Amino acid sequence: MRSSPKPRPNGWDALVVLVVLALAAGSALAVWGGGRTAAGPGTVVVTIGGQEVDRFPPEALLDSPRTYSGNGYTLELEYGLRGGGDPPLNHQAPSLEAGVQVAWADCPTRDCVRTGLITQRGQSIVCLPAGAIIRLTGTGAEDFGGVDAVVG
Amino acid sequence: MRRFIGFTLALALILSLTACFGPPVDPDTVQESIQVIAMDTAMFISTYGKRSTSAAYASEDLIRDLESKLSRTEEESEVSRLNAAGGQPVEVGPELAALLTAAEKYRADTHGAFDITVAPVVSAWGFTAGAFRVPAQEELEALLEKVDGSAVQVTEDGAGGYSAALAPGQSVDLGGIAKGYAADRLVDLFREYQVPRAMAQLGGNVLAWGDRPDGTPWRVGVQDPARPDEQNAFAGILNLKNAFAVTSGGYQRYFEEGGKRYHHIIDPATGYPADSDLTSVTVVADCTYDDCMGALCDAFSTAFFIMGEKEALDGWREWQEGPPSFFDLVLITEDGRVVVTQGLAESFTLEEGSGYTLEIVS
Repeated sequence: MRSSPKPRPNGWDALVVLVVLALAAGSALAVWGGGRTAAGPGTVVVTIGGQEVDRFPPEALLDSPRTYSGNGYTLELEYGLRGGGDPPLNHQAPSLEAGVQVAWADCPTRDCVRTGLITQRGQSIVCLPAGAIIRLTGTGAEDFGGVDAVVG
Repeated sequence: MRRFIGFTLALALILSLTACFGPPVDPDTVQESIQVIAMDTAMFISTYGKRSTSAAYASEDLIRDLESKLSRTEEESEVSRLNAAGGQPVEVGPELAALLTAAEKYRADTHGAFDITVAPVVSAWGFTAGAFRVPAQEELEALLEKVDGSAVQVTEDGAGGYSAALAPGQSVDLGGIAKGYAADRLVDLFREYQVPRAMAQLGGNVLAWGDRPDGTPWRVGVQDPARPDEQNAFAGILNLKNAFAVTSGGYQRYFEEGGKRYHHIIDPATGYPADSDLTSVTVVADCTYDDCMGALCDAFSTAFFIMGEKEALDGWREWQEGPPSFFDLVLITEDGRVVVTQGLAESFTLEEGSGYTLEIVS
């Protein structure tokens, strides 16, 4: 009786092995490789009613302020410099501490306007009537040089 | 050759299964942060550790659950049903029953300075709906006749159920203890989820759980009441680990009319905004071994602000049975002093350039 010919691996088999190895290594690297995608320092994140509606660097407000509305109330967000002063031209680095502030709002209490300028990651402006939170965020090397929270 | 191929594929399969278990979680890395608008304030919660994501979202669920039960502006809440019952008994859950009972104890402990039945007076000033006004004296006197926390009845029916009843014309607001109670529940949750560290900012209240990623205590700034609209304007810094801090001050919410400022902390005795010698009261409690007494701290911060420096310190001393203190205080006075009780002497640092002088008391 003739025996069936023994299969011999060929170049396609080797290619399959390499592809499987590459996929396995790639998935392991994706999981174990560590590191976090940096969102960039000082990103402004705007949420209305618990939903994120906008995300941008503060300098984006140099082009024009942005308005947001929630629960029938509207507020306008603008670029600001600590101590006042004109915004830098042509998106140059500001000479003063820069951030964002609410220029005006039509809610009854206008607490968001009174909050003033926020310039550091972790700081926030809240408009309860509108259900709006404007927060400066950033990942990577978090700045723990200042306080972690404020009571009062 | 077949064995080699088989071994290679088996090895590749094993490597690909690594995705099922996830990368080792560095407990020093912020894992999840959430923000919630609830209980009439904005809350920011950051949790660390392997179960930080589930803990953070469980925290949000917990806060929303409490708000649905305790908020008097939520129509279907237990508190709203109680307020609308016209003095008739209403079935309530064990949580509200416990909080109503605790609130009455706090009222007695503070000689009436904390009283949840002051709610209609607070509403008359417009602080509930945001339509601010100065009520007439006659209106306030009529409303003050209904302010009496001792008239709130809580009854257990013997089968594990509870009912509560107010006196006719009364209504209650648990805003003065709800966030503190939420902090106590969060501590239970962090323990359940084995969260090694977390920072929860519940409006102006702070739960500092564990310590900072670098092993040092959390740094919590005490807002300078003289500069309420300035970011990073502190009277001092508290270094906290497993602790809860809550502040009351007139600068937090107010309106101006006729050149005069009216703030939201209404004295149940007068019906007017409290007028003591304090501009800010911070109560700090340790949560290491039990809950944070968050509801008590919340109530006492309001009451001590109304009572003034001397009575606040007398009240603090009544609660001390020796170190460690049940809670400690940071009082900021109108005459420019920051008065810190002994238990915080090592944890509090006066802010340079704030203009205040520091006083440690025992």
